Amino acid sequence: MSTKHSKAAARFIENRKQEAWHDETLWMVRAKRDKMSHSLPEWERLRELASDIKLYSNSHLDTLLEEFERNATANGAIVHWAKDAAEHNAIVDEILQQHKAHTLIKSKSMLTEECGMNDYLFGKGYDIIESDLGERILQWMKLHPSHIVMPAIHIKRQEVGEMMERVLGTEKGNSDPTYLTHAVRKNMREKFLTADVAMTGANFAVASTGEIVVCTNEGNADMGTSFPKVHIATFGMEKIVPDRESLGVFTRLLARSGTGQPITSYTSHYCRPKEGGEFHIIIVDNGRSDILARPDHIRTLNCIRCGECMNTCPVYRRSGGYSYTYFIPGPIGINLGMLKDPVKYSDNVSACSLCLSCSNVCPVKIDLGEQIYRWRQDLDKIGKASTEKKIMSGGMKFLMERPKLFNTALKFAPVVNKMPRFMIYNSLNAWGKGRELPAFAKQSFNEMWKSNKIK
Amino acid sequence: MSSKNDILSAIRRHTGKRYEMPELTLDAIAYEDKVARFADSLKAAGGQAVLMQPGDDINEIIRQHFPDATRIASNLPGIACATFNPDDLDDPRELDNTDLAVVEGHFGVAENGAVWITRQVKHKALYFISNSLVMLIDRNSIVNNMHEAYKRTENMTYDFGAFISGPSKTADIEQALVLGAHGPVGVLVILK
Repeated sequence: MSTKHSKAAARFIENRKQEAWHDETLWMVRAKRDKMSHSLPEWERLRELASDIKLYSNSHLDTLLEEFERNATANGAIVHWAKDAAEHNAIVDEILQQHKAHTLIKSKSMLTEECGMNDYLFGKGYDIIESDLGERILQWMKLHPSHIVMPAIHIKRQEVGEMMERVLGTEKGNSDPTYLTHAVRKNMREKFLTADVAMTGANFAVASTGEIVVCTNEGNADMGTSFPKVHIATFGMEKIVPDRESLGVFTRLLARSGTGQPITSYTSHYCRPKEGGEFHIIIVDNGRSDILARPDHIRTLNCIRCGECMNTCPVYRRSGGYSYTYFIPGPIGINLGMLKDPVKYSDNVSACSLCLSCSNVCPVKIDLGEQIYRWRQDLDKIGKASTEKKIMSGGMKFLMERPKLFNTALKFAPVVNKMPRFMIYNSLNAWGKGRELPAFAKQSFNEMWKSNKIK
Repeated sequence: MSSKNDILSAIRRHTGKRYEMPELTLDAIAYEDKVARFADSLKAAGGQAVLMQPGDDINEIIRQHFPDATRIASNLPGIACATFNPDDLDDPRELDNTDLAVVEGHFGVAENGAVWITRQVKHKALYFISNSLVMLIDRNSIVNNMHEAYKRTENMTYDFGAFISGPSKTADIEQALVLGAHGPVGVLVILK
């Protein structure tokens, strides 16, 4: 057990209290989701429809994206296409330059995280201000999100309070969430009013109307876009949905799955630029078109980034978002990381107990756990299978193919129970790392069966 | 343009099976008393609904709920308690420090307490910047669910539209719910 994930998880687990809190809190969110899903008799039908709509839209991206572009352009928006992260960031840079902008106010977007946009723009001398509270906290602490919907879920209120004492001059020792949130509200007001350009992601882009839809609870996207003349919206191309009728399905599933709310406080539809302003929309590929060529993994493009697979995952809950090496953690992140670069991100595929809870709750029915299983089967092909495990399975195969030897080994297995610890838990026993061996039964099932003890 | 062509040709090259668009048929939830359900959903979202009774004065209802509001914005006729018309302002930044905004919504959604608004004021900032927001809707306009809601928007054109369900909120610090993250701390929906 020596993947980067297991090592980082071991560090997370060291703080037992924090680990337990993290586990219980995310499970509470999962329980809220259950309450929501059980309150709708049509829940499973909604999941089915959502999955089918996505399979349709992701297999018709060429026509839907062009339809979107036509309609958005007719609405007065300016549509850009970015093949990869570099093109995306350059487009944003160019728009900022055109408007002689210095400050960009941003609402939460995992896509800009994927593109490494903030660092790129900071490097060019711009000031980027994250407006989502969790993201703002992380920005002040110079950290990255550990969850895609609850980005600062791993940080305790005391840490936030201490940081804000330094940054905002809040009262010493006051870590009350309401007090701290309202301190940020006050601080952010001025930022909203003075930013040069606003940027948002998009939860959905509607082909038939050319509008983009942004869902937030804080209203930070709406505040951000209310003052500057220029709004840049960016979305990964799988965010396209055919029409508003389809939106009905997704807006019912998104928040119920992600946070256990029937809908987010704000579901905002941006259709046209404001008077005298500009509305730029960037459509981003960055590897998504490559996923289309992999039928086994195509369903990852269904993802609406609700975060539910993280909340339900027993490994994520107990190891935290930072234990994964890809910027999106949890079951969907394991899969997206492998699609991005299997050699670089293979450490994450072991962060799964194959319980398939993620597959069972995913609102768009991505076969998350099944795909992780398939990646594991391919580890040897990319030279990433664990040597220790290969030796162990080799040994198992040798034994299994020789019944006599197997039975003899089994007969002597209980001897291990009485062996001193150092002889069992050492570098030769990979299985014993981080695990306790169960006691071997005195009698094997075979022996019990033969002596009529089991009927 | 070349990036667009490259992306589209990569999509065409890699797209395998083309799936059919499903027929969006389902038995979506419907409520016997949509008004009551709307009020419950809004309450759960941190807002409040009041049902106007015959003889009720809308300005009095607003005053009762927001006795401390001194800067009240509205461009609606009949909102006598408004202290200014937000459409008279050239710059949306001047809306900062508004205590209360009174606006009109198109309809409500019973399953989630949301009200559909399209920008009907000069500055869309008004919906978000004021400390509290009052939305007026017709009680007969409430739909059961989001499927019905989007059907209602079919022929509407707008530059900005939003479903607003209760006040602005966050739980980003330890999952503790706080109202008024950036937008209104309180939302009142008056059902006419």
